[in-house]
Amino acid sequence: MTTPRKDVFNPIRINAETCVKCNLCDWICPGDLIYKEEDNRETLPVIKYPDECWYCGLCQSICPTNAITVVFPEQMIHNRTDVASLLGKVIE
Amino acid sequence: MNNEFVRLDTDVLVVGGGVAGSMAAIPALEAGLKVVICEKGKVLDHCGSIGCGVDHYLTIMDSGPEWDTPEFLLKHVPELTDGIVDMAVAGRVIHEMPRIFRKIESLGVDFKDRQTGDYYRLRSFGLPGTYHINFDGTDFKKHLGERVRKGKATVLMRTMVVQLLVKDNRAYGAIAFNFRTGEWTVIRAKAVVLAAGDVNRISKNASGLAFDSWHIPYNTGDAQAMGYRAGAALANMESVEATLTPKGFSCQGLNALVSLGAYFVNKAGERFMFKYDKKGENARRAVIADAVINEYLLGNGPIYLDCRHLSQDMLDRMEHTLQVDRYTLPAYYQQKGVNFREELVEVSVSELSIRRSGVYFRGSGLAVDTNGETAVEGLFAAGDCATVSGGISGAAVLGHIAGEGVVQRIRATTGALPEIDRRELEAVRAQSGAHLRQPAGLPWQQFEDATRQTVSDYVGVRRNERGLKLALETLCALAQREPTLKADDLHGLMRVHEAKNIRMNAEMMATASLARQETRTGSAHWRLDFPKTDDVNWRKFVIVERGKNGPVTRTLPTDQPLSAAFSRCHAAATV
Repeated sequence: MTTPRKDVFNPIRINAETCVKCNLCDWICPGDLIYKEEDNRETLPVIKYPDECWYCGLCQSICPTNAITVVFPEQMIHNRTDVASLLGKVIE
Repeated sequence: MNNEFVRLDTDVLVVGGGVAGSMAAIPALEAGLKVVICEKGKVLDHCGSIGCGVDHYLTIMDSGPEWDTPEFLLKHVPELTDGIVDMAVAGRVIHEMPRIFRKIESLGVDFKDRQTGDYYRLRSFGLPGTYHINFDGTDFKKHLGERVRKGKATVLMRTMVVQLLVKDNRAYGAIAFNFRTGEWTVIRAKAVVLAAGDVNRISKNASGLAFDSWHIPYNTGDAQAMGYRAGAALANMESVEATLTPKGFSCQGLNALVSLGAYFVNKAGERFMFKYDKKGENARRAVIADAVINEYLLGNGPIYLDCRHLSQDMLDRMEHTLQVDRYTLPAYYQQKGVNFREELVEVSVSELSIRRSGVYFRGSGLAVDTNGETAVEGLFAAGDCATVSGGISGAAVLGHIAGEGVVQRIRATTGALPEIDRRELEAVRAQSGAHLRQPAGLPWQQFEDATRQTVSDYVGVRRNERGLKLALETLCALAQREPTLKADDLHGLMRVHEAKNIRMNAEMMATASLARQETRTGSAHWRLDFPKTDDVNWRKFVIVERGKNGPVTRTLPTDQPLSAAFSRCHAAATV
């Protein structure tokens, strides 16, 4: 299980076939999102807090077997926000 | 949770293991001092603010021409900062630039272009010379981290400092907890360096994802909030920073492209930057962001980045640069199906942060003297949490200055450190632990969202008195709810502390913004009710400090250094 929270988009996709369960992604994640049981070569890393991902890709860059892919959600790829709505409200 | 506190006695405690913190640790270690570093991440090999490497570094090199001297750059600092700058501290930082640059080279960082074997220097962000070295700094921070490790600093990873220990306006350590193990540590130190970076997650952005931020979202103004509570003075907190990002992904990288020659165009295809600054896209970062904000508010959006006129060589260089700052940017463009070499890329205004408002040498945060020491004796600050900041090199140089300042302070201080007050420790831990026992409490995510919405609406790039007062009411009401914040686990407890620090910084920003009754540096502080820059009355710092009922402000003319407002009697040594 790499996505314990089904209701939340998980950007960090781990290929269970190629993952060597080494712990490096847990070690490098600056946001403390990825939890991997240490000294256990049987268990996969768990993305415990997927909604706190910064999309930095450090986990992907350090993975020795390229088992990690960072995937962007729809609102990042095809964003429809009106930028002016971010620029403040004026109350007279 | 373990019931006992781990107790560490050290010479220096550094909060934050980024560039500023590592550079502060190095001179202390070289002087033979014991150093403890607390870091929320787990590695010292990446930059604190951007998580990856570095692609440009600002420095004077004293290479011969007049522009490459400290005196020349310093002469331009008042205009670069719109007159709000601590010239004493900026002067020391600029004078130390060549020395610290050579020191970083001696640590193994190669600033030279791999192809030419020489420095590739660029003019950018409105600076009056080609001060930025464009280089492959993927391993920049690794070299700094290695030096810290070699010096045998004790590094506490996944550890968040939650409170400073201060007695009679003297810092003597801090209380921290490890959010993986739940272990609490009390660190008694002769001096403390705060280097925990800028304030993010403080306003809304295009994607609506709180952690999709330009700078690292795990920098949450912890240093500013703790320093404030400990009695330190802060300045320039009214200046807000926004940058430009590919729309939908708040990531750095656009600025580097602009310094390599990219243009901005509006929906009519007009290259509009020259309407705002004679330097066009080479204007200061604050001016560029301000121009795009204006274009959007005028209805001229979408705004696009245009690279189509550039040579293949330059486009190759850009393509290579993209992933240095943010590893995932090429993958993002690929997933989006955009080829920036041939197509326009839609840009957005990023979420806001409190950092240095796109201005070099005018940081927003803890006021420091020329040794990097704050208004609290023995408490130092450097990097994006301090009042003189300037990207990676600003962090490196002021960090090193603070590290040397620490050595001087420790050598000049006599007398034993105060004893740890066991009741204080227990109270801090009990208050923190209570968040783990609030099943029906307020989720920190919801609390943070309320802060972000308030800041975006009323404390952002357009402000007026009514909006700021409304924001302060909301932020103070949120403060009342802090004891009910809920953490599901230790990781969540760390986020609860962050959420409180973000709110505290928002309150400081709103308070300072209300005080400054003028507009300065465009959208960095745009008061709709005082739309003009008023040099007669407002060539002043707004200083924020802790009052009886929350933040209070006072002003200080900018012809004085911020340290003139400090109540501690003297610096450790004259520089």
